[in-house]
Amino acid sequence: MTGAIDISALTVRYAGATALDDVSLTVPHHGLTALIGANGAGKTTLVKALCGLIRPDHGTITVDGRIAHVPEGREMFPDMTVDDNLRLGGWRTRRRDTAAIYDLFPGLAALRARRAGTLSGGQQQMVAIGRALMADPDVLVVDELSLGLAPMVVTSLVDHLVTLHTTRDLSVLLIEQNARLALDLCHYAYVLESGRIALHGPAPILARDPRVTAAYLGGHIQVTDE
Amino acid sequence: MSDLIGYLLTGLGIGAGFALVGSGLVAIHRVTRVVNFAQGGFAVLAALLTSTLLSAGLPHGVAESGGVALGALAGLVVGVIAIGRPGTSPGTSLIVTLGLGVLAYAIEVLIWGDQPRSFPGLTGVAEVGDARVPAHYLLILAVTAVVFALMAWFFARTDPGRALTACASNRYAAQVVGIDVRRMGLLAFTLGGALGGLAGVLTTPVQQVTFDSDVTLIVNGFAAAILGGLSRPMVTLAGGLLLGVTQTVVAGYGGGAYQLEVALVLMLTVMIVQAARTGPVPEAAR
Amino acid sequence: MNRWTIGAVAAVTLALPPLLPERHLATFVLLLLAATVTVGVSLLMGYAGQVSLGQASFYAIGAYAAALPAVHGVPTLLGLALAPVAAAVAAVLLGAPLLRLRGHHLAFATLAVQLILLSLLAQADWAGGAIGLQGVPRLTIVGVELRDVGYAYTAWLVLAAALLIARNVVDSRPGRALRAAATSETAAAASGVAVGRHRLAVFTLSAAMAGLAGGVYAFYLGYLSPGSFPVLLSIEFVVMAVVGGLGTIAGPVVGATVIVLLVQLLNTLGTLPGMPDYAPSVLSYAVYAVLLIVCVLYLPRGLAPALRLRRTADPNA
Repeated sequence: MTGAIDISALTVRYAGATALDDVSLTVPHHGLTALIGANGAGKTTLVKALCGLIRPDHGTITVDGRIAHVPEGREMFPDMTVDDNLRLGGWRTRRRDTAAIYDLFPGLAALRARRAGTLSGGQQQMVAIGRALMADPDVLVVDELSLGLAPMVVTSLVDHLVTLHTTRDLSVLLIEQNARLALDLCHYAYVLESGRIALHGPAPILARDPRVTAAYLGGHIQVTDE
Repeated sequence: MSDLIGYLLTGLGIGAGFALVGSGLVAIHRVTRVVNFAQGGFAVLAALLTSTLLSAGLPHGVAESGGVALGALAGLVVGVIAIGRPGTSPGTSLIVTLGLGVLAYAIEVLIWGDQPRSFPGLTGVAEVGDARVPAHYLLILAVTAVVFALMAWFFARTDPGRALTACASNRYAAQVVGIDVRRMGLLAFTLGGALGGLAGVLTTPVQQVTFDSDVTLIVNGFAAAILGGLSRPMVTLAGGLLLGVTQTVVAGYGGGAYQLEVALVLMLTVMIVQAARTGPVPEAAR
Repeated sequence: MNRWTIGAVAAVTLALPPLLPERHLATFVLLLLAATVTVGVSLLMGYAGQVSLGQASFYAIGAYAAALPAVHGVPTLLGLALAPVAAAVAAVLLGAPLLRLRGHHLAFATLAVQLILLSLLAQADWAGGAIGLQGVPRLTIVGVELRDVGYAYTAWLVLAAALLIARNVVDSRPGRALRAAATSETAAAASGVAVGRHRLAVFTLSAAMAGLAGGVYAFYLGYLSPGSFPVLLSIEFVVMAVVGGLGTIAGPVVGATVIVLLVQLLNTLGTLPGMPDYAPSVLSYAVYAVLLIVCVLYLPRGLAPALRLRRTADPNA
């Protein structure tokens, strides 16, 4: 397989408990792929493994090109300016020119000297995406884009993301608790439950799958043979 | 009146030394969460080496730079041992730095013996108003002012400085953008070592140094730094200067024996007030 | 550690004093006293999760509390009884504000307290000032003035008492609660444990142990000065506790024994003819430092548990 991200038979254990169990997943080049699942399904563990913050017990992760991460909770440098936050996003690539980011998010230009901690959630999310883009990524991992944000703000962020995806040939892995949003936006989706991939398939088909509908409404996914 | 101006200026000079030691503690603590007990040792090592280099005939400036460089190197070594092993908690690192502080005693006594040492600084007496103050105190103040201005510039305007600030601000986010936080921790230790070394080199001409001078230095430096919660260099500078002036004034008006107590009682009061305001914070949680 | 080991260690240490030459007897007495203080430090660090860099203050308070009345003609046994009481009272007064602090804050606060105490002692003419108290009378128990071997047995009893108390504290309900508090204070508080009061109790108890040991020390040496209780002494107690293994009963004894014997050996080496006069102090600083660092980084549970683990891991050994 030769996707932008290839995860194969990934297993991660914490102090005996298995957080991820034999997870395989591919994000194709130029794809918009969703990983959905409830709290505690193992999404965060997967992201940390993907970004090299934890070491898997088993399995392989291959990333073709440069990966950047928009972390859950936005993770600003709260007492540093917006401009410094963006600039630090280019740490790995030694890129320091933030002008292109302000072209992408004109709303941020006026806030460039503000401390990131004083911004609203939606503004912070823009900074977080802009910071990730500073690394000139080929693959963007967006963790819980919509969490804690108003629907209108989410819509605007999603528009930005789609534009980026189409204009920059960016492969995106969207990790979301909000399954409706993820399935509307993405081409392909994986459903993670209790550390395992319970279901996967093209997003429009998954969106009509009764098991997904039930899970989206809070039910439990029945795993059957695929 | 001229007495008071004299006490103020000498106090500021002494306090600048505390502020430098304290800002070294801050530089290390804000990035690594480790309180470096060996901080006073950097000053002692730097001062002792400078005295040797000067008596070997090296000119002023070169000898002092050598001392500061040794402080920086010692800082790096302490950092490697204290935080080099992955998973070392800040509490464990504190004990390690305590051990390294004692190890420094062994090295210092071995090389330089246990007798007090000093070396000449800037000679001459400056007249400020109608007060006469040894010119070296003014030199300490000037150098400290330049160093703190440089530090402010470094942390806000340079890439490594921003990365250090980022590690202090949000460690996880720093990892996310690809900053190697352990390497930044080592950089912070090196910087802390240089600042400690500078304090030793600057103050030794007006205060002798022995291998165990580090206790006084670390206690005063910590007292200065604790005012800013061990994370704000400028508050540390203010704290150090205030501490120096208070001690000199107390000594000048007859309480000479109680100089160190001023710092100690201030430090205890600040910590207890801070704890009462924020409630006990379990540090093991980090 | 089983009953037989304890019995054997007790028997050997009881048989030893009359056989030791005077020089080694002094080492033996000081070892037992250091171990007693370390029992308290280990309780504080291992069970209450707090570092004290000022434990020598309570050792000093005990020593002065015992020696001062004795110098003025008060019966020595009464002075000895006063030693732990004075240290405990000081601990309660200091602990009430100080124990709000945690981690490095408490470490610096205890260090500050010791520096203040030393400075005050040095200026207190009634306590001998910087020169110190000379001519402290020897300890007299029921009309018998103790000789050197007597001090060895007194110190032995003091250590045994400290160990017994420590074991009972550890096994008690508050002891278990404290151990919980050392790992997760919030959890312990949530389960209704009065963490603060238990922590103060352990702090006071550890001070009382140091005070009692200090009392014996004062009568044994017959001379006290602020210089007898440097900050380095407090650090030594921490080293002994860490090296022996925090939170174990045998740890303080193992730690104190290893350190005292090693330092004694190096002292002997360092004072050999041809060695420079700074050799003993350089060697002992280096030993404290290296042992502390190596134990904290590589043997976080100390020597005592490490020795036992090795034995259980290899049953044929």
